[in-house]
Amino acid sequence: MRKPNFYLLVISMSALMLTACGENEGESTEATESLSNDPIEIEYWYAFGDKIGENNEALVEQFNEVQDDIIVHAHYQGNYEDLHSQTQASIAAGNAPHVTLNEIASMGAFAEAGMTEDLTSYIEEDNIDLNDFVEGLMGNSYIGEGIYGLPYLRSTPILYVNKTMMEEAGLDSSGPETWEEFEEYARALTNDEGGVGMTMPVNIWFYEAFVKQSGGSVLNDDETEATFNEAPGVAAVEFIQRMHDEGTIKVPTGDEAGQIALQDFTNQNAGMVFSSTADLTNYLSIAEEAGFEVNTAFMPQNEQYGTPTGGANLVMVSGHPEEEKMAAWEFIKWMTEPEQTITASTNTGYLPMRESAIESEEMESLYEQVPQYKVAVDQLEYAGPRPLNANYAQAQNILNDAITSALIEDNQTPQEALDEAAERINSLLK
Amino acid sequence: MRIHQLFLKLLNVTSLVLIILIFATPFVWMAVTSVKSLSETITFPPVWIPETIRFENFTLAWESGPFFRYLVNSLIVTFSILILQFLTIVPAAYAFARYQFFADRTLFALTMITLMIPTQLIFLPVYLQFSSWGILDTHLALILPFAANAFGIFMLRQSFKQVPEELLEAARLDQASEWKIIYKIMVPMAKPTIITLLLFSFITHWNDYFWPLVMTTSDSSRTLPVGIAALTNVEGGVAWHIMMAGNMILVVPILIMFFFAQRQIIRAFVYTGVK
Repeated sequence: MRKPNFYLLVISMSALMLTACGENEGESTEATESLSNDPIEIEYWYAFGDKIGENNEALVEQFNEVQDDIIVHAHYQGNYEDLHSQTQASIAAGNAPHVTLNEIASMGAFAEAGMTEDLTSYIEEDNIDLNDFVEGLMGNSYIGEGIYGLPYLRSTPILYVNKTMMEEAGLDSSGPETWEEFEEYARALTNDEGGVGMTMPVNIWFYEAFVKQSGGSVLNDDETEATFNEAPGVAAVEFIQRMHDEGTIKVPTGDEAGQIALQDFTNQNAGMVFSSTADLTNYLSIAEEAGFEVNTAFMPQNEQYGTPTGGANLVMVSGHPEEEKMAAWEFIKWMTEPEQTITASTNTGYLPMRESAIESEEMESLYEQVPQYKVAVDQLEYAGPRPLNANYAQAQNILNDAITSALIEDNQTPQEALDEAAERINSLLK
Repeated sequence: MRIHQLFLKLLNVTSLVLIILIFATPFVWMAVTSVKSLSETITFPPVWIPETIRFENFTLAWESGPFFRYLVNSLIVTFSILILQFLTIVPAAYAFARYQFFADRTLFALTMITLMIPTQLIFLPVYLQFSSWGILDTHLALILPFAANAFGIFMLRQSFKQVPEELLEAARLDQASEWKIIYKIMVPMAKPTIITLLLFSFITHWNDYFWPLVMTTSDSSRTLPVGIAALTNVEGGVAWHIMMAGNMILVVPILIMFFFAQRQIIRAFVYTGVK
C-alpha cells in the first residue's frame, strides 16, 4: 500500500471546506440545460495505469460502441489516494466526474460526506439481482441503509508458496492449512544461508485476516471502539512475534517493505509470502523467468479461515443533473454485468465479482489453465468487509506502528502495545 | 617536493573520480535498469550487465500511455514558461538594477519574499482561483503561475549591476532608447546568466510533478512526469525496467540542453558580468 499524497489530501480537504456553498450554484446552471438528442457525455475517473488502466480504457471504448446515448470519457488519476483526493477537490471546484472508484475502505467516508449517491433506487428499478454478486465482496457496499457502490476490481490476500522449495524440503506443496502447519513449514524452509520460511511486512490488511482467523475483529460492529486488543488480536501479534523470535519469518520495515517482501520471495530467499490476488500474474511471470514454480493457497486458518477483501467499487458522484445520473447508472450497470466482469478479471487478475461469471465457461477454462487463480475465488467464501469508519485510515497507521514496535522492540509485549494503540484509536473513532 | 606534488595530484584525481562516481552511479543504474528484464531488476545480488539488452522496454514504456501527448504538453508548457519568464525577468531586473523610483527597495524586497514562500503554501488559493476562472486542467493553469520568477529577477539584477554605467551613458548619447539598451547591451552582456537561468527553469518545470498533478485531471493537459509516475502506479509489483525506460525518455532532453548550454553555465558561475 502506498502513502497518500499529502498535498492532494490537503487540497481536497480545504477545497471542500472553502467552497461548500459554491457547489449548488453549479448545479442549478447545469440543470437548466435544454434537453436534446445529443448523446450525454459523462466522465469516469479511475486509478492505476498499466494493465489495469488498459482494461478500463478498453471497457469504456466498448461501452461507447455498443450504445449511442451515452459517451463516457475515462481519465486516469494516479493511485487510489490520488484518485480520492482529485475527486474530492473536483467536487469542491464543481467539475466532478460522474462515475469513479472508491477503494473499499473509503466507501464510508465518501457516502457519509454526501459525495456519492445511494444506488438503491436504481438497483430496484432495474431489478438487478444482488444475489448474483459474490456475498463476500458486497460487505463494503452497504453504508447505513443504502448501497453506495458495486464491486469492480476486487482482490483478497492469498498465500503464495514456492513450490520448488517446498518439494526440496519434503513438504506438501499445496501449502500449509493451519497456523501450526504454517509455523512448521516456515521452520522447515528456514536455513543457515539466510533463507527464511516467510517474509511479511507489517500490514493491517493481513492483520485483519489473522484476527478474523482467530475469531475476532479489529473494530466492534458499530466501529466505535477498537477490539483488536482482545484475545484474538493479541494472539495474532504473538503468533508472528514467536516466529520472528525464532527467525523463521522476516519482517521488512520502512516505506519499501512491501517491495522487499516481494523481492525476498522472487529471489527465493523466502518460501512463502502473503500478497494480493492481483499480483498473481506478476509472480507467475517472474517465477518462470527465475526458474521456480509458484502455488497459491488460502491464508492458513487458526480457529477458522478468514480474509478481508481489497480493491475498489464503482460509485456515482452526487450533485449532477438527473439526466447525467441516469447515464452514470447505465454505465455502472453495464460495467458490472457478467460479461464485463469476465473481461476485467481475465485482463487484470482481479476477482470476478458475480457468481454467474465465476461459473461461466470463460472463467472455468482460465482456472483450468492457471489453477492458481481459482484459490482466491474459493477463499471468497470466508471473505468479509473492511472497516468503513472514515478515520480508519489514520487508525491503521497507529495500529501499524504498535505492531511494528511489539515485533521489533523488546520493551513492550503485544498486549501492552495493542492496549496503547486501542486507547488512541478509540478517541479517533468517536 | 616532487613526491609531495604527485601525492596532491593523486588526491585530487581520486576525489574527482569519487565525486563523479557519486553523481554518475544513479544515472548509470537507471540506464542499465532500463534495458533489463523484469527478473533482472529485482535479483539480489544486483546485476550490472543484463544478459540481453532489451530496447523493447522503451517501446513498452512509450506505448503504455499517450506519451506523445504528454511530450507535446511538456514542450508547450515548458517553453511557454521560458518565453514568458524571459519577457518578464529582463525588464524587471533592468529596472531594479538601474532605476530609482518610488518604493523601489520595498518592491524589490517584496519580490524577494516570494522566493521564501513554498509552492505548497500557495497552491490552494491558486487552485480555487483557477477553478473559478475555469482554467483548471488546461495548459494555462500550468504556465500562468510561473510566468515570472523572483530568483531570476534577483540573479539577473546582480549581473546587470556589473555592467559599467559608462557603457549605458555612451549608448544614451547615441540616442539609443531604453529598450534598445536592454536588448543590444544588457542582454548580450548577461548572456551566460540568462542562459543559466532559463536552463534552471527548464529543468524545474520539465521535471515538475507536483503542480501538474494537482492542476490536471485528463491526459489532454498532463505532462511527462505525471505520465511516467503512472508507470509505478500498479497494484502488483512495479515494473522497474519499464519505469526506468520512461525516466530515460524524461531525462534525455535535459541532457541535450546541458550539452549545448554547458559552456555558458560555467561562464555564468566563474565570472558574472564584465571585468
